[in-house]
Amino acid sequence: MSITSEPDDPVDLNRLQRRLERERAARLEMETVYEKGLRELYLREQELRVLQDISTATNLSPSVRDTFHHALGRLCEYMAWPLGHAYFVETHDGATRLKSTTLWHVQDPEKMEPFRAATEALDLAVGEGLPGMVCQSGKAIWLPDVDSKTFFVRKASAAASGIRAGCAFPVLIGEETAAVIEFYTERSVAPDTALLKLIGQVGTHLGRAIERQRAENRLIHDASHDPLTALPNRSLFLDRLNQVIARGKRNPQILFAVLFIDLDRFKIINDSLGHFAGDDLLTQVGHRLQNALRGDDTIAANHAAAHTGTLARLGGDEFTVLLSDIKDPSDAVRVANRLGEALRHPFVVDGQEIYTSASIGIASSTSGYETAEAILRDADIAMYRAKTLGKARCELFDQDMYAAALQRLALETNLRRAIQNEEFVLHYQPIISLRTQTVVGFEALVRWRKPDGELVYPDEFIKITEETGLILALGHWVLREACRTASALQTQYPRENPLTMSVNISPRQFAQPDLVEQIRSTLRETGLDPHGLRLEITESVTIDDPNRVASVLAELKELGVRMSIDDFGTGYSSLSYLHSLPLDALKIDQSFVAKMGKDAESLHIIQTIMGLANNLGLEIIAEGAEIACQVTKLQSMGCEFIQGFYFSKPVDATAIAALLANPIRQMDSKGSTEC
Amino acid sequence: MKGIVFNTLEQVVVAHYGETAWENLLDAAGSSGVYTSLGTYPDDEMMRLVTAASEALDMPPAEVVRWFGRQAIPRFAQRYPDFFTTHESTRTFVLDLNAIIHPEVRKIYTGAQCPTFDFREADDGALLIGYRSPRQLCALAHGFIEGTADYYREQVEVEHLMCMHRGDEHCLMRMTTH
Repeated sequence: MSITSEPDDPVDLNRLQRRLERERAARLEMETVYEKGLRELYLREQELRVLQDISTATNLSPSVRDTFHHALGRLCEYMAWPLGHAYFVETHDGATRLKSTTLWHVQDPEKMEPFRAATEALDLAVGEGLPGMVCQSGKAIWLPDVDSKTFFVRKASAAASGIRAGCAFPVLIGEETAAVIEFYTERSVAPDTALLKLIGQVGTHLGRAIERQRAENRLIHDASHDPLTALPNRSLFLDRLNQVIARGKRNPQILFAVLFIDLDRFKIINDSLGHFAGDDLLTQVGHRLQNALRGDDTIAANHAAAHTGTLARLGGDEFTVLLSDIKDPSDAVRVANRLGEALRHPFVVDGQEIYTSASIGIASSTSGYETAEAILRDADIAMYRAKTLGKARCELFDQDMYAAALQRLALETNLRRAIQNEEFVLHYQPIISLRTQTVVGFEALVRWRKPDGELVYPDEFIKITEETGLILALGHWVLREACRTASALQTQYPRENPLTMSVNISPRQFAQPDLVEQIRSTLRETGLDPHGLRLEITESVTIDDPNRVASVLAELKELGVRMSIDDFGTGYSSLSYLHSLPLDALKIDQSFVAKMGKDAESLHIIQTIMGLANNLGLEIIAEGAEIACQVTKLQSMGCEFIQGFYFSKPVDATAIAALLANPIRQMDSKGSTEC
Repeated sequence: MKGIVFNTLEQVVVAHYGETAWENLLDAAGSSGVYTSLGTYPDDEMMRLVTAASEALDMPPAEVVRWFGRQAIPRFAQRYPDFFTTHESTRTFVLDLNAIIHPEVRKIYTGAQCPTFDFREADDGALLIGYRSPRQLCALAHGFIEGTADYYREQVEVEHLMCMHRGDEHCLMRMTTH
């Protein structure tokens, strides 16, 4: 047989025929390969399109529900299955349940109604029913025939709707199943690996949508809550208050009230113990107030709605409560008293027991308010009144308070300007030694000389500068000015015992962490010998943080500065630890001296203080001696140092020379001690 | 029209009438005869082949098309067995055309213009099949149904109640299984 046989040879024709068949078969095979490839390509493309659609929708749609709804529809369309549904996993009080949602894709609603109704009634535990099983395992389940599985609880309704096969998928966030989606169809369908993979990927997208929603919710929560105490913040409080005010306009019979709570002495605690301790205290206070508010049965008993109180932290140590449904303003007073009571026990901060209390102002809707700002302002004003009247109490707002608050605000504004314009002057009151009959030093006293020439005394403005913090700037100025004067006096009038200068240090000044450094640099700047400076602090300063007080005083002592307790006997001080402080003198408050002639008690107090001072080795300086008999009496009791009008009023710097040039006023030689 | 149809036609003609018959048909229709299943070729070319066959066999064109449809099914069953093995009767197979078979066809042959069917059950249990296609190949559908019945070894009767070739807006076939 030749390879090059002629085609008309019958044998070769057969071979050509075979070759034709081979070629045809080869073509068919090639076509099959291509068809398979094309089909896969098509499927991949469709899958990608589905994923892309869902991913785009996820990014665009505003809510998780929209995203789910779209994904259900798109997957049903892709699978050509008539029904898709979603469940959300919800955890309440530690119990995790699967709740059917109203999220459906249904092609033939009428036919699917039995199944839909049965599904929406579901409230499943983890592990219960098809979605529960998926939730438990975190894996997809495919049922080619729903009738064949005992755990499928909706057999009857599935049959009624003509459902045969189903599959369910977890929507995962990490390990957590956040939702379950399920699909059903009327034909029996075998598990489809490609489809399982695709829906798995869709599940990831949906999981991200839930995660994003959660992050958004968290942001919204964070934006409306105080990060420290987790209480509602100012903006949320104002929102709620505005709602209640709007309700009040429609329905004025329902009364409401705002409580403005300010912690007493918080600024000093914060300044002296540090911000961390302050934050800790605020957190604990928040808890106690919240519990006290929740536990309030006064309101609950009167009204069906037990939770009508919103506690918020406005900032700093300011808390507010909105009582949105009270019967009478006295309800608000009862709540305020309860809140105050909740703070009565000491707090433990940094291992130390700390006492605080709250001044609470109340404004109620009975005064008629149009805006949240107005009712909040009045509650604040009432709080201020509570503070002025002695703290740890509550006050209901009235109109007189408003006028006083306006005055105070004007004063504050003027004081700020006064500090800027240096409208302050120092007057100096001599301190006399009865033993040497000489002026031994001066106390610097601040005066405010208004632009119109009026002289204002510190009792009218020191308190407000202390409250506003203006005292820090003012106090610093006073210290520098007094040291400068003292330095000049010491140069001009050299003595064996140099003239001293006493300067008052307020609680907030004392709480400054850099107090010692400020004093050191002021002394350096003015050239005053530290021994010439006497700082006066009140008893209240010493009780806040005994450890810090002791260490600050020790540093000042080391520096050479002398320390006195001012107004001694008027405040609370722990005598037990007074002896441990490096003090030099006690100043007897002028109120005792003023009454010592008429009031045996005052006299006894003076005697006690002097006994105490003697025991502790402290000097005694009596303040406020105005008449001869007081001086004589004090002298007879053994008091060496006196300060008061009897010898001299506080004078300005220019009058000091004259004071020092003349001998001190002599007492009547008879020296009557009876006033 | 997709090449698969031309290829199948070639197979059927060759099987029944031999290679020469197919060559003659191509000559008569003026076709090159180069078809691959995945390609798309003018509908008109198929019409010319049908016309040539109609003349050669002395058979009306519709009959040719119907005959071709019936003969094509065994070849399809060989090439795409999954569509056939998942059914047990002509009726369920036909009912799956829109949902399964045509979507699958489109997956492989992008741009395939499959006809649209609608189904209704007549009072006597017969299946009423609506057919809509600009190609008006109801005879092909008829042949396919007969071929499918052969596959499932069933006796079916298909009656054209309405036909686009008789001026109706769409075709309506009545399929009875015996």
